[in-house]
Parts: sequence; structure tokens; C-alpha cells
Amino acid sequence: MSDNFTHNEKLLKIFAGIRCLNKDQLPRYLEGRLTDIEKHLVEQHLVDCDLCYEALQSLQKEGQMEQYQTLSAGIQQYIRDSIKPVSQLQKMERYIRKSKKRESLLIYFWVVAFIAGGGAGLYLMQEYNRNKPVMARPAALPIVPAAAMSTTPPPDSARHQEASLADKSEIPVAAAPRKDTVKAAPPAPQKPAADSIVVTRAAPTPPAPKTEDSVKKPATAANTPKEEKEKDTPATTVAKTQAPPPATPPPAKPATSTAMDTDEFLYKAAMVYQQQGDLNEAISRYKRLTSNTGRVGELARYQLGICYREKKQNGRARRMFKEVVRMDGSMKQAAQQALDNL
Amino acid sequence: MYQQLRNLSDKELISRARKLKDREAEGVLLERYSHLLVAVCLPSFRNNPGTNPQTLFPSLLQRLSNSLKTQTIQKANEWIHQTIKSYFANPEKQVPYYPSRDARDQLHTENRVEKAATNTIEKQALIAQVQKALSGLSTEDRFLVEQFYLENQTFTGLAAQKGYTTEKVRQLLKKAKSRLAMQLTNQTYVR
Repeated sequence: MSDNFTHNEKLLKIFAGIRCLNKDQLPRYLEGRLTDIEKHLVEQHLVDCDLCYEALQSLQKEGQMEQYQTLSAGIQQYIRDSIKPVSQLQKMERYIRKSKKRESLLIYFWVVAFIAGGGAGLYLMQEYNRNKPVMARPAALPIVPAAAMSTTPPPDSARHQEASLADKSEIPVAAAPRKDTVKAAPPAPQKPAADSIVVTRAAPTPPAPKTEDSVKKPATAANTPKEEKEKDTPATTVAKTQAPPPATPPPAKPATSTAMDTDEFLYKAAMVYQQQGDLNEAISRYKRLTSNTGRVGELARYQLGICYREKKQNGRARRMFKEVVRMDGSMKQAAQQALDNL
Repeated sequence: MYQQLRNLSDKELISRARKLKDREAEGVLLERYSHLLVAVCLPSFRNNPGTNPQTLFPSLLQRLSNSLKTQTIQKANEWIHQTIKSYFANPEKQVPYYPSRDARDQLHTENRVEKAATNTIEKQALIAQVQKALSGLSTEDRFLVEQFYLENQTFTGLAAQKGYTTEKVRQLLKKAKSRLAMQLTNQTYVR
């Protein structure tokens, strides 16, 4: 069975691909120096290959072998000579091309890296400008000067407060760069909120120690957790960082300005949040002040309106501005203008 | 590199020379057949004494080099043989190499055999087909094929047995093989 299979397998020999005769085989075949297997393989190849068969026929004739040897060596040398220099040149060219490619890739990389870096830088700058805390640009929002706030009376009597707020209708409200607020705010000397807070915070206490104590004590007794919480607010931190040296006290401050009302403090803290762009926090803080019917309440409502308007909640903003108009305070005109612009 | 190229097959060298424009591969290929080229050209020096080997071989090699870049070459030996023949027939005219129908059939069958070398099932199927094709040959052709390929007889042995010349034996074997390849190709198409 296996013998039959081997016999059959020999059939595939008919179409086995056999290489042409090489330089050694050619003379050896002519001289009959090949083994039986080798000779049979050569003859199998000769059946198909006209080139080898003609070469053998040509060499079988007398006197050809010598010429063949010389010419064969000559043509091989010729091929090697003609290929070698070209090959060397090719290698050089390839090397140069490779190095150029590497260089150009490096250049592309740096160009791309530079563009990407530049783009990222620009993007970051834009993002920074967009989310920049308004502290850096104090006139971004309508700001009530701290002097006005600090002059509010201590919360011992509502009557006093109202009276002082009524007086403060003369006190200018800081002009804001926004269209409506600029129009709304009466012309006044501007003072950044931060500075005003600082001034009030950094104001030396010695001139009115008694009043401050008397004011602060009940406040601390009543609102200790609140104050503690608010101590950590950005307003205080900003105030601390920007506080001028205590050696230069503000000129001639009234004694009432040193006393810090809780509502005022809340209002200022809310202002700082608003300036930093944290509108939700600012709104929640302003809302706490809406119960106040005095000047602070009016200002808080006005700022609430602005916050809502910034949040595109125009209905709420309109309601707030209307309330301010209804209160008929110093912000009436500004609120009316804001309402018109809505 | 040169040694590595020498170990490559003709097909690989042609591919390198064409695709990568590798002059070294081209050189190795031409060098592989240079001795046969010289041997085939020898009679022309004797027949035409004016032929100068210094001009003949470079122009022939140049023609082969040009042809290598532009033509599809299945078998290097056939391509070289045909180029030499066409060169001697008309040195001015460059005749493109194109394999004959017989050569294509044979190449197709050779490729099938090469492919089936590691596949026993395929090999069995192919053997059956060859046997079938072999039975379709004439008695003389079948006898020659069987004696030459299965019984390992030589040209001279067969020539002596049949009273032919070796050239005639070779021609008969070549024709029988060609017919066999054609039948196998036809069988494949029919299947």
C-alpha cells in the first residue's frame, strides 16, 4: 500500500520545479561527473528548460569550453562592477533620504508641538479670562461702595437704620461697566468692593472700642456659627490678602463705620461670590438678606435681580427689579432701567 | 547582503528588483543566469565573427534589465531565453516577453504541486488527477513519461531503448508533459 503510494507520489515529480543548472553543474554534466540522482534531476529540468538545453548543446561542441570560461568570468565581473557603484550610490542616497526624512519629521513634530502649545496657551488664557474672579477687574459689576455700607447704623434700632439709609441716598453707588448698570448707577467716585471691604475690616478699632464691642458682642452671641462660617468665605481671605498695612488708617471715618452689621457682612460676602462668578452661592446669600427691608435688603434684591439676569432667569430678575422699584429706594432708578432693558 | 540575496529564489529577486528597485537583487539574478547566457550566445560568435562580446553582452544585459522593470516574469529561464532569441532575431526591436499557453498551463500545475506539498488530502487529489490525465495520453507518451519519471531512466537510456536521438526523446517528453499539464488545467476548470 505504502509502496503504491510512493510510486504514485513519484507522479508529482513530473511537475516539480527544478532550478537551472549552475556554474558547477554545467561542466560536470558535460563531463559525466554527476551522480545518478543529480543527473536525473538535471535531465528532468532539461525537459522543460530550453535555455539550459541550448547551453549544454552549445558547450558540447569542441573548443567552446575555454571561450565559455573566459566570457563567463568576464560577464560576471561586468555585472558586479556595474551593480556595485550603483549600489553604493543607492545606499548613500537611501541614507541621505532617511536622515532628511528624520529631520523633516522632527521639524514637523516641533511645529505641531509649538502650534498645540500655543493653542493650549490661548485656550487657557481665554478660559482664565472667562472665569477670572471679578476681584481682578473691580468695575465689572455694579458695586456699592463700602463707605456707604460701613456708614449704616448698627442694628440696635431699625429706625436708626432707616434714617441712615435714607441719608445714604446721597451716597453714590459705584458705577458698573455693564450697559444697564452704568446707566443706572449715579455718577460717583468708584471704589472697588474688595478695597472697601478691606478698609472696613482693616479700619483701626481704637477710635470707638466701646461701640464695636457693644455691637459685636450680641452679634457673636447670636450668630457665632454663622460668623465662623463666613470667616472662611473668600471675602475675608481676599480682604486679608489685600489688606493695606494698618499703619495707614482711612481718613476720618465715622464711628458707626467700624461696626459691622451681620447683614452687611452677608451682603459683602455675597458680593464677593457674585464677583467670583459663583452665582448660586451669591443668590442663596442674597436671599437671606431679602427679609431685610432696609437699604441692605434693597441692594440685595437689586443684586439678586442681576444674578438672575445673568443666569438668564429673566422672570425672577424682573420680579426682583420690580420689588426694588416698589421699595422706592436709592436703587429705584437703576432697577427701573434694568427692567426696561430686560 | 550579497550572500543573503544569493539565497533568494528567482521570484523573490524579481520582486525586489521591481518593487524596491534593488539593483543588487537584479545583479544577483542576472549573475545567476550569466553562464547560461554566455553559453547560449557562443554559437553566434562562431557564426558571426564580427560580433564583439564587449558590446553584445552589455546590450543584452541592458535589454534584460529594462525588460525586468516593465514586464511580468513568471519563469526567469524562459524570459532570458526568449530575450536572447529575440535579440538575435532583431537586435533593434525589443519584443516583449509573454509566456505561451503551454508554459502557463505548466506553471499553473507546478504551482499546484508546490502548494500541495504539505497538504496530504490535496496531494492525494492531485495524484488521482495526474493518473487520470496520464491515462488520457497516447501509449508512447505514457511509456516515455512513466519510464523517465517513475523508473528514473535517462535520456540516453530511453533513446537507446526506442532508437531515437536524445533530442527527440527530450522533445517527446516535453510534448507529453505539456499535454498532461493542459489536461490537468482543463480538469480543474471543468471541476
